[in-house]
Amino acid sequence: MRSRRSEVSYTARQRSYRLLLYVLMLVGCVIMLLPFFWMLTTSVKTEAGAMRMPPQWIPAKLHWENYAVAWGMAPFGRYFFNSFFVSITSTIGEVITTILAAYAFAKMRFFGKNVLFAILLGTLMIPGEMLLVPNYVTLTRLGWLDHYEALIIPWMVSVFGIFLLRQFFRSIPDELWDAARIDGCPRGRYLWRVVVPLSKPAVLTVALFKFLGSWNAYQWVLMMTNTESMRTVPVGLATFSSDIGTAYHLLMAASVMAILPILILFFFTQKQFIQGIARTGIK
Amino acid sequence: MLRKIVVGLLGALLLGTAAMAANEPVTIDFWHAMSSGHQPNLQALITAFQAEYPHITVTLTYQGSYSALQGKINAAVAAGNLPTMAQVYENWVTPIESILYPIGPHMTMMEVGDIVDGLVPSNTYNGVLTTVPFNKSIMVLYYNADLIATPPATWAEFYDLAKTLTVDTNGDGTIDRFGTGLRPAANPEQFLVYLDQAGGSILNADWTEVTINDAAGMAAIQFLGSLIPYTFVTSDYMSDHMAQVAMFIDTSAGYNYNKTAATNAGYALGVAMLPVGPASQSSMIQGTNLAVFNVPNQTQAQKDAAVLLARFLLRAENTVFWAMKSGYQPVTKSAYETQTWKDFVATNSYQQAMSAQMLLGFSQILHPNYGDMRTILSTKFDEIMRSATGALDGLNSMAEEIKPLLSE
Repeated sequence: MRSRRSEVSYTARQRSYRLLLYVLMLVGCVIMLLPFFWMLTTSVKTEAGAMRMPPQWIPAKLHWENYAVAWGMAPFGRYFFNSFFVSITSTIGEVITTILAAYAFAKMRFFGKNVLFAILLGTLMIPGEMLLVPNYVTLTRLGWLDHYEALIIPWMVSVFGIFLLRQFFRSIPDELWDAARIDGCPRGRYLWRVVVPLSKPAVLTVALFKFLGSWNAYQWVLMMTNTESMRTVPVGLATFSSDIGTAYHLLMAASVMAILPILILFFFTQKQFIQGIARTGIK
Repeated sequence: MLRKIVVGLLGALLLGTAAMAANEPVTIDFWHAMSSGHQPNLQALITAFQAEYPHITVTLTYQGSYSALQGKINAAVAAGNLPTMAQVYENWVTPIESILYPIGPHMTMMEVGDIVDGLVPSNTYNGVLTTVPFNKSIMVLYYNADLIATPPATWAEFYDLAKTLTVDTNGDGTIDRFGTGLRPAANPEQFLVYLDQAGGSILNADWTEVTINDAAGMAAIQFLGSLIPYTFVTSDYMSDHMAQVAMFIDTSAGYNYNKTAATNAGYALGVAMLPVGPASQSSMIQGTNLAVFNVPNQTQAQKDAAVLLARFLLRAENTVFWAMKSGYQPVTKSAYETQTWKDFVATNSYQQAMSAQMLLGFSQILHPNYGDMRTILSTKFDEIMRSATGALDGLNSMAEEIKPLLSE
């Protein structure tokens, strides 16, 4: 009798614990989604409605025309093309260079490997803003300003990506390489046929972060381009703000359009994305 | 006779060549920071300019926010690929004054004399008008017209009103509405307005001494210090906190945002000239100028074309068009006399105060280290208004920190 009672109380405790957990998760979910909700509703408000305090969560009338107005205020079609092109090519480039470099640092023996790797990691400590002007000068000398080269090539290497993959590659047993070598498999084929498939989650993590970083890049694109035809979506978003204020309703309409591709990408790669965040601790 | 004919023919040939050279196609780059709301109006002016000078093509390039534009100009100086002309703040170009192509010497005396008086010193380097004003705004007094029937005319009235209008409506011990508001970290120019109205300045006339903490400076900071209990201090736009303030000084360029925010907060917005200080009713003019760059990558023809554009934008009808469309103020005296502007002011009553205040405006000093001075001003002014330091201590500390910048 006592044991049944304690069982019941245990189940009740478990239920209340779970309820509390769900309530906490729900609160967290609401907190996380609130800015997105505000973005969505603001995108269909009037200018005055967007600035109303306290915020107007559901506008009385939905102004869908904001999307058309925002789209027309800058050449967003071109911006989207550029964002896709630059993000995809730089992601492909970075994945390739990162895999090669990470493999070399993880599995190959060469003179000064550790020193070189330490120097490489050291470059992570230099703030990007400090390098902006020297990089601008370099790209000017190369004649790459206002060209896709300036937006893609300098971003085809990522020290963080190399570090991440190196750590992953190091966990792959050397015996696999010994076996492959006995079977006559050259190192290149071993890398692409064995190491990379085994490291798929890590490689996808690198690719996802690269794509996101590239899609959201603002300052670099603004600095390295002069013509509208070379600019990307984040630069387009900046046109809704000035020194004296921001047209929030239009900015939010444009922002909704800007995050759509990222949302679609997220839906397709949710699992890897979450694994990536769990693996790196980066959001 | 033959000699005269030959000379005449040669002269005609030279003139013809010169005319042909003058009309050779030329393209100039104009970097600006005018976001999408202003771009169509700027483009309209450029289109009108190109119609008048068909051989000149102007490539307008939006370079993002002002700070992004500044960053790009700095990088372009290092890389040697500056555009022909750009929108610039004074403190961006004072350190690179030597590579500015003076516009003034290519203007008529009438054109130079027509520029609003308060704008001339901040565009003049070594006695030469080098840059010209473009988008300019003036600090005016915004107030809750439902609460304030007559805006304050003097500092004393301003103080009394600020004190009266600071209220804790629900009695919970927290002030719900402040008499006034300031953005000291974001807009240290608000302090400079009070400083100038008290008859003070950051430096003496020849920039050899820091004068910010002399008697006038002390009067200004003591007045601001006395307002602390009645002042809402923020770094945000004041339009984000309209319900929390009864009156504040802010740039005329923000009128539309402030008006919308005031309507949302449930009151009508009034605009007035600033209250008169101990020495004057002056106000600070803010905004950018136009600079033409004298660098190897720009040909003489490009620089000449840029000067033509600068002069075109200064014409009364054009500066009026720009002001009416953008919310900035006209930058020439004759513009204020045009019927178009008078009609515009008549139908937009808020402009009366702005126009009158503009003609009493002063601009920032052209010291090469003004950028660093401004950083000190904003930090210390913010500390003072947030009561992190005493008003006089903060002022003296400003002076101490600015002093080394005179010799650098």
